[in-house]
Amino acid sequence: MDATRAFLRHPSGMVGLVVLLVVVVIALIAPIVFPVSPWEMVSAPFTPPGEDGLLLGGDTLGRDVAAGVAYGARVSLVIGIASAMAAMVIGVTIGAISGYFGGKVDLVLMRMTELFQTIPAFVLAILLVATFNPSLLTIILTIGAVSWPPLARLTRAEFLRLRNREFVEAALCQGEGTLRIVLGHILPNAISPILVVTSLTVATAILLESALSFMGLGDPNLMSWGFMIGAGRTVIRNAWWMSVFPGLAILITVLAINLFGEGLSDVLNPRVSRRRS
Amino acid sequence: MSDTVQAKAPVLSVEGLSIALPEGGDRPFAVENVSFEVKPNEVVCLVGESGSGKSMIAHAVLSLLPKSVNIAAGAVTVAGQNPAKLDRQALRRLRGGEAAMIFQEPLSSLNPLKRVGRQIEEMILTHQKPMPSAIEVHERVQQLLTQVGLPNPKLLEKSYPFELSGGQRQRVMIAMAMANRPALLIADEPTTALDVTTQRQILRLIDDLRRDRGMGVLLITHDFGVVADVADRVVVLRHGKVVEQGTVEEVLRNPKAEYTRELIDAVPKARLDEIRRTAVHPTPLLEVIGLEKTFRVKRGLLQPPREVVAADGISLTLHEGETLAVVGESGSGKSTLGRMIMRLTEPDGGAIRFNGQDLRRLRGEALRQARKQLQIVFQDPFASLDPRQKVGDAIARGPMAFGTSRTEAMELARKLLVRVGLNAVAADRYPHEFSGGQRQRICIARALALKPRVLIADEAVSALDVSVQAQVLALLAELRQEMKLAMIFITHDLRIAAEIADRVIVLQKGRIVEEGATADVFTAPQAAYTRDLLDAIPGRDFFDQPGFASVTGALPTARMSS
Repeated sequence: MDATRAFLRHPSGMVGLVVLLVVVVIALIAPIVFPVSPWEMVSAPFTPPGEDGLLLGGDTLGRDVAAGVAYGARVSLVIGIASAMAAMVIGVTIGAISGYFGGKVDLVLMRMTELFQTIPAFVLAILLVATFNPSLLTIILTIGAVSWPPLARLTRAEFLRLRNREFVEAALCQGEGTLRIVLGHILPNAISPILVVTSLTVATAILLESALSFMGLGDPNLMSWGFMIGAGRTVIRNAWWMSVFPGLAILITVLAINLFGEGLSDVLNPRVSRRRS
Repeated sequence: MSDTVQAKAPVLSVEGLSIALPEGGDRPFAVENVSFEVKPNEVVCLVGESGSGKSMIAHAVLSLLPKSVNIAAGAVTVAGQNPAKLDRQALRRLRGGEAAMIFQEPLSSLNPLKRVGRQIEEMILTHQKPMPSAIEVHERVQQLLTQVGLPNPKLLEKSYPFELSGGQRQRVMIAMAMANRPALLIADEPTTALDVTTQRQILRLIDDLRRDRGMGVLLITHDFGVVADVADRVVVLRHGKVVEQGTVEEVLRNPKAEYTRELIDAVPKARLDEIRRTAVHPTPLLEVIGLEKTFRVKRGLLQPPREVVAADGISLTLHEGETLAVVGESGSGKSTLGRMIMRLTEPDGGAIRFNGQDLRRLRGEALRQARKQLQIVFQDPFASLDPRQKVGDAIARGPMAFGTSRTEAMELARKLLVRVGLNAVAADRYPHEFSGGQRQRICIARALALKPRVLIADEAVSALDVSVQAQVLALLAELRQEMKLAMIFITHDLRIAAEIADRVIVLQKGRIVEEGATADVFTAPQAAYTRDLLDAIPGRDFFDQPGFASVTGALPTARMSS
């Protein structure tokens, strides 16, 4: 594929991809490297990094921070990707219907989208998580439910651009059905920017999840980065490592996803990629 | 600077110019060993099909070549200077000073956010040293706008480009080009995006300005009609090489090269004598009755919406096996008519009767079934094929949507591809691997896959090179015979209409101003508008067309040439 080859030559995109792969590998091998649960108290409380065999130190209860960071990667990635997918499904469906049919349908759907856009995403997320019991599934659905509006708007714009193109009209004249035209002709031509925005949504989803966990609204059974920062925040002056390492993990992962997303955007945008080559 | 000495030397000389393309291109050189001259007060036409390298040469003259291509050999001399060797300062003085350029699409060459008067002023201010006073500049702008024949320059200089018509924009571009009294004007397809009548006016304007100022003009075109009308000398290019050059008379009357002859032959010449008269069935296949359509464009809050009448009571009939040409300028509503018949645009009123049913009353499945028998070929072969769908699929989709099995449909697609002059293996390729003409053949195959009874061709050959145009027209004529197709041929080019149609309808602002058998409309036009259109056909005098003589004789004063 041309796009793949172009991406391999995109410097910052490749940096993002490599870092992201490292995070994925860490998430995958976490149970092998840290066979003991991250909730287990393995040393004295407040063990500084490097001492007592703990690479990144221990937390207020003597739990291994390194294990927490590694297990947290699994939570962050799963929630980030799954909720971005949820947002994509909701956003693309609403945007596609709105853009293709136009008129009153468009009006109603777009006003609804605006309603979601005017409520701050984080406040809405807190409200939803607090209403339902925080669990992996509800967190994913909540983040999905607050992240779809930009995707809906983008999809609508792409559909508006494409629906009156001659090849779409030709398909209509050929007797193809609405669903076939939408899925077979319009969506494939609109997919590039949608993929890019979805990849960037993964990053914001990870941040949202961390913020929720920080406020104690995460899944209580999962060791996540946000939870670790929240737990270590009160003692940050005497035990910086408890919040700094999970914080760095969030920073690096989100940055990597953004770099990857931007690289993807450059490669999939024909005008930019042509200028490059 | 003494003008008398300058006047004898050529304003532009191109000697042995070769421009190298980046590696991996379809050929090593964009242009190869090209030499020609433009003398003062002379119009030289650079003619060739797309990809012949004619625009490359124009860009090399002003040192505007993209970074990836460079001059491999030879030299360009503009008013005694070699632009490739000039520093930035001197190059800026040359561009827009000694040598000015106008482009094909005037809308994209003007800054959309600036009033046109300001844009012309800018041109003067960057070049005149010492800087003239504001009043002088303003006077000069007024003078320029008047010279390029724009009405009401005072109002016009305050307009934005989007408020002007295509012809007016091109006039503004010409005013900008003229601002500093250039010795050389380079016009790259200046009239290709314009209507015939506007084209004639613009060409005449360029010709007048040339004569007034003794300016050399390098005109790039693909249209031999334009060449015949304005050129003094012609340079014919093919694949970056000069095939032939000489005076208009030499090249057009006695072309030496085979290629030049082919190009001249390909110009549609309205061979009226060859037109067949089909026996007309008593009941029409398609009947359009009193079709109405008005587009309303919303403007500001307080302004009333702008109304554009696209169809004002259009009625027409089409019989089996008959070809009807709908001609008119842009904005005449001819494309809207085709789209309304296809039900792609909803009319405001009137009826479309096809085979006994009123198409306007059909919904859902019934409409789908009816549409199968009416197919359309669009103008832009690049926009009308899904870039992510293989060509074979594009053709097979239609029959498959009506229940044909995939294998059978693909078989049909391959057969059709061969029928339209392509290879059966084309079915497995993507549209971007084909040229414009090939794509248009694919679109024709796609339209024919459903075995329609009516084919609407909406400017189907307008985007193609003349030689390709001739081939596609010939193909359509064959298929029409073979499949007993009734055709509605929408075009702005009267030469093409005359070549293919049995009957012609002339549209102006959504109204039919003239209707009749092709030969009658072309030899004895009734409406003044039809006469204007006929008269504006480029190269009329040269390509002495049998049927046209009477019009030419009737209106000798309205002619373009000196």
